[in-house]
Amino acid sequence: MLALAADFIRRFARNRAALVGFVLVIVVIGIALSAPWLFPRNPLRIVGRPEIWPFTTSRFPLGTDSLGRDIAAMIAYGARTTLLIGLCASLTATIIGISVGATAAFFGGWVDELLMRLTELFQTIPNLIFVLTIVSILGQKIEYVTIAVGIVTWTPIARLTRAEFMSLRDREFVQACRSMGMGNLRIMFGEILPNALPPVIVLSSLVIAGAVLFESAVSFLGLGDPNISSWGRLIGDGRTLIRSSWYICAVPGVAIMLTVLALNLVGDGLNDALNPKLRDR
Amino acid sequence: MRRIVVRRLVQIIPLIFAVIVLNFVLIHLAPGSLFDVMTSEQQVTDPAMLDQLRRTYGVDQPTWVQLAKYIWAVMRLDLGFSYRQNAPVLQVIMEQLPATVILMLAATTIALLVGVTAGVVASVRVNTIWDNLISFGAVFFFAAPSFWLGIMMTVLFAVKLGWFPVGGMRTIGSGHGAFADALDVMHHLVLPATALGLFYAATYARVMRASMLEVFRLDFVRTARAKGLSSGRVIVAHVMRNALLPIITLLGLQLGTMLGGSVVIEAVFSWPGIGSLLFDSVMSRNLPMVLGVLVLGSLLVAVCNATVDLLYMRLDPRIRVR
Amino acid sequence: MSRFSRREFLMTTAGAALASRFVGSAAAATAPKTGGTLTATWGGFEPQSLFVPGGGGSSPYFTSTKVHERLLRLTADLKFEPVLALDIKAAEDFRSYTIKLRDKVTWHDGKPFTADDVVFCAMNYWKPISAGVSLDALEGAEAIDPLTVVLKFKAPVPEFFLKSVLAGKSGLLIPKHIYAGSNIITNPINNTPVGTGPFKVKEWVRGSHVEYLRNDSYWNPGLPYLDRLVIRWWRDPASRSAAFEAGQLDIGTFNPIPIPDIARLAKGGKIVAETKGYSNSAWVATVEFNQRREIFKKREVRQALMHAIDRQFISDTIFFGRARPSIGAVHSSNSIFFAKDVQDYPFDVKKAAALLDAAGYPVKGGSRFKLSLVSAGWFEENVKMGQYVKQAFEDLDIAVDLSVPDRATSLKRIYTDYDYDVAISNNSGSIELIPSTTQYYTTDGIVKGAAFRNATGYSNPKLDEIVGKMTVETEEPKRIALAKDFDRLASIEAPILPMVDLEPVTIVRADVRNHSTTADFMGESWAEIWLDR
Repeated sequence: MLALAADFIRRFARNRAALVGFVLVIVVIGIALSAPWLFPRNPLRIVGRPEIWPFTTSRFPLGTDSLGRDIAAMIAYGARTTLLIGLCASLTATIIGISVGATAAFFGGWVDELLMRLTELFQTIPNLIFVLTIVSILGQKIEYVTIAVGIVTWTPIARLTRAEFMSLRDREFVQACRSMGMGNLRIMFGEILPNALPPVIVLSSLVIAGAVLFESAVSFLGLGDPNISSWGRLIGDGRTLIRSSWYICAVPGVAIMLTVLALNLVGDGLNDALNPKLRDR
Repeated sequence: MRRIVVRRLVQIIPLIFAVIVLNFVLIHLAPGSLFDVMTSEQQVTDPAMLDQLRRTYGVDQPTWVQLAKYIWAVMRLDLGFSYRQNAPVLQVIMEQLPATVILMLAATTIALLVGVTAGVVASVRVNTIWDNLISFGAVFFFAAPSFWLGIMMTVLFAVKLGWFPVGGMRTIGSGHGAFADALDVMHHLVLPATALGLFYAATYARVMRASMLEVFRLDFVRTARAKGLSSGRVIVAHVMRNALLPIITLLGLQLGTMLGGSVVIEAVFSWPGIGSLLFDSVMSRNLPMVLGVLVLGSLLVAVCNATVDLLYMRLDPRIRVR
Repeated sequence: MSRFSRREFLMTTAGAALASRFVGSAAAATAPKTGGTLTATWGGFEPQSLFVPGGGGSSPYFTSTKVHERLLRLTADLKFEPVLALDIKAAEDFRSYTIKLRDKVTWHDGKPFTADDVVFCAMNYWKPISAGVSLDALEGAEAIDPLTVVLKFKAPVPEFFLKSVLAGKSGLLIPKHIYAGSNIITNPINNTPVGTGPFKVKEWVRGSHVEYLRNDSYWNPGLPYLDRLVIRWWRDPASRSAAFEAGQLDIGTFNPIPIPDIARLAKGGKIVAETKGYSNSAWVATVEFNQRREIFKKREVRQALMHAIDRQFISDTIFFGRARPSIGAVHSSNSIFFAKDVQDYPFDVKKAAALLDAAGYPVKGGSRFKLSLVSAGWFEENVKMGQYVKQAFEDLDIAVDLSVPDRATSLKRIYTDYDYDVAISNNSGSIELIPSTTQYYTTDGIVKGAAFRNATGYSNPKLDEIVGKMTVETEEPKRIALAKDFDRLASIEAPILPMVDLEPVTIVRADVRNHSTTADFMGESWAEIWLDR
């Protein structure tokens, strides 16, 4: 087991870009965790003169926004929001996706047909509109935004899980389990799922990245939770000032981009590490 | 072949049906119906007037009756009447659809041209500085939120350099010649289409690169090279055609996300298309309009998916859809 | 002729010719030039329809008033000028008014404008739909002859009040021959309205602009000066700034561009910022306390929270100086009814805390109580105000849950469901206080489901009595005194009060003339605007 892990880490580390991504993710997590220590007060508090440029005073290293709030504090707390929504949304999506995909593949027949039509339904509706509608219905709270994003991003996971299950379903070891008398559920979750998981994990990292982008778009359009600090909302707030204080839009955008970038690089690295066949680089 | 086509297209019908039902339920669940919005905007409080308006907007009947009526109407190609715009839904959508179509076509063109070219160059010059630059660029544009890209591009190219307009689709009151008009629209189109398309360009670049590399290794390429065909012809004639298959699949599948993306881009650039129409309609609980746009959008996506499947079948004879 | 010598004659005629050249050019400098296209916008979005009979907000008001005219209009110095009504005279007992109409006015489709149209509007449109409560006392309307209408009321009606209604937002005139027998609210002609105004709708390109052409048979010969009027909409203020700079936009009403951009654009003198023209559409940002909550039944609590808000900060930072702290319940630009000697609420956190302690809400376990704050999300400034007010209350150890819903949800939560503890909203009141201001305070202003009126549930018989007297008091000085009583009581009670008086600004190119001349410029027909190009 340890040898497998070491081998995995070695293969992952060979991909330098993935390493960079990994480091970036750690940095973002670090900022998110340490936000309450670095900035003890509520980041949404008005603390200074509005529209101070970044790198001009040491009190506000990243400047202040149109109301006079500390952008550095909002970026730090925004990291918490981003990671929270990213993780929870992708967890929701993964749970839904795996359940749907596994059930469809395992039972086949009309169950498969029905679930695949359902998947197609959710894939056909334009994602962002769906999220906006759900947020309008449930309300502008961070929990509801998370649920909405999760509901919209499960389809690729379902498809992948189904494909993996289908290829594993007819393998010998499953038939062996069946002949031993194992129940369906036990086979599904005990035997097939652990083997099907690796590609799904890779996909999950991309789903997290997607969730981050969705949340930022929703907040940008003004539908996010006004009680918490969010990178997307900062960009939206800064739009009227792009002529004079365009840094208000630029800084949080860079933060989003680096986070999504990092997640994608890590996803690529995981992919390479888990699929040694595609060693082409 | 024709049977498969017909079967594929027929499969779309239950899908549209499900889209309608799902969205009808969702919009009805949202607090604040169109009726509430319209009556408070119209300052209507007289009970008799309220009843009359309820009848006019059709909200006095039970929900399932409203749903049944709507489905029956859609089957007759009547998407209903939008009381907010005081016009039939289909008419309003058709008025604003061309703007979005132009935007999406332009974005897709940019995405294909830039993405495919970048992917080919990166694969041909694999592991050189070009490859690294292009790969980095691809990941950058994939990760950057499109609305943020749009704003940053506006700051640089429209505000600071003044090369492009800040927003809108046309310059009103300018020369009305058809050619001048088209040029004017194209001038306004550059920034929004690029902002929308770069994300897909990044995807296509990466996929194209991986696909090309995979095809390079295949036997028939070596055969072609052995036959003495020059590198250039080998690439274009044989490799690309095969490597393009995944791109075509992606193209079809991303129509849905692009429609969602156009909502944000249209908001950033004040582009008068159905993306902003849809956003406004969700905000004002304009049920007929939201359903209309979603039904048409889903129909488009479903038809696109079917077309892509069929195209894929034609292009790669090894694949047959069950 | 014989009295003048030939030389004198030559000199005088030459002199006269010379003089007339100067006079002529001076006259030419002030004589309006005809022709040209004016491109306009305003600081909000495209309307749902070019004409919304029930109101629909500022956007359709802007587009419909170029086509539909009214009987009167209010000038910037608060005099009523005739438009389609040459004279409006009150009877001795103020229970009826005789309106003499202008002759030879036609609708855009050629049919004549007559007293029948006015009777139709009064009874079928204004009373039930647009004016509602304002014309409660209207009993009947009769056309004595094709150019004379008599309006009959069941109680005395003050003259300024009636003229205000007829010149205001709800007094638009619509053609009987088109609307009779139909549902006025849903009639499809509302998308291409037909009126008597100086401009006719040519084309509405949804999502982009509406184009108007000059009405060649307008009743005022020589007007309008413009050939074409285009109203264009953008979704965000930065685009409008750019349009001004690129010369694509001539005039924008109601804060079209981000306020920090105004100074930049005004440099060079090509573009001007104008503050006149809003006195009859005075915008405020209000804060209100839901009386259905136990905690707000105590006046001291409401007053405490008023003291907790730093309104100078809101004016300076959120509105970039284009607003000022309100005093009392009436906008400070209201030169008739504004009163300074009312209860004011200067920013004083200590006083607020003391009031809350005295009212029985001390700090217990780190917090006094919890509030839900709803800030209507139709203006970006409301979003910021919500965030600031939340912080201000939190500084008083009050826990606040903030929501900033979209327009539809805001209207529903505040005015239908009454689902809020504290709400931030807006009001654009006319100079005449009844009903646009008073309906936020009176018991009959409580109408569930109707927006922009009494949503707090505040009900005070004394206040109702003052407003009731004001409604039938026909002597101006007595009326003004009653209004001040109303203002004083409303300010002390503070169920809902304006936080800041907005000072909207019109951005216009320097070569546009004759703009901002009336009390509600956005809602005027713009017949007299001309371009000095």
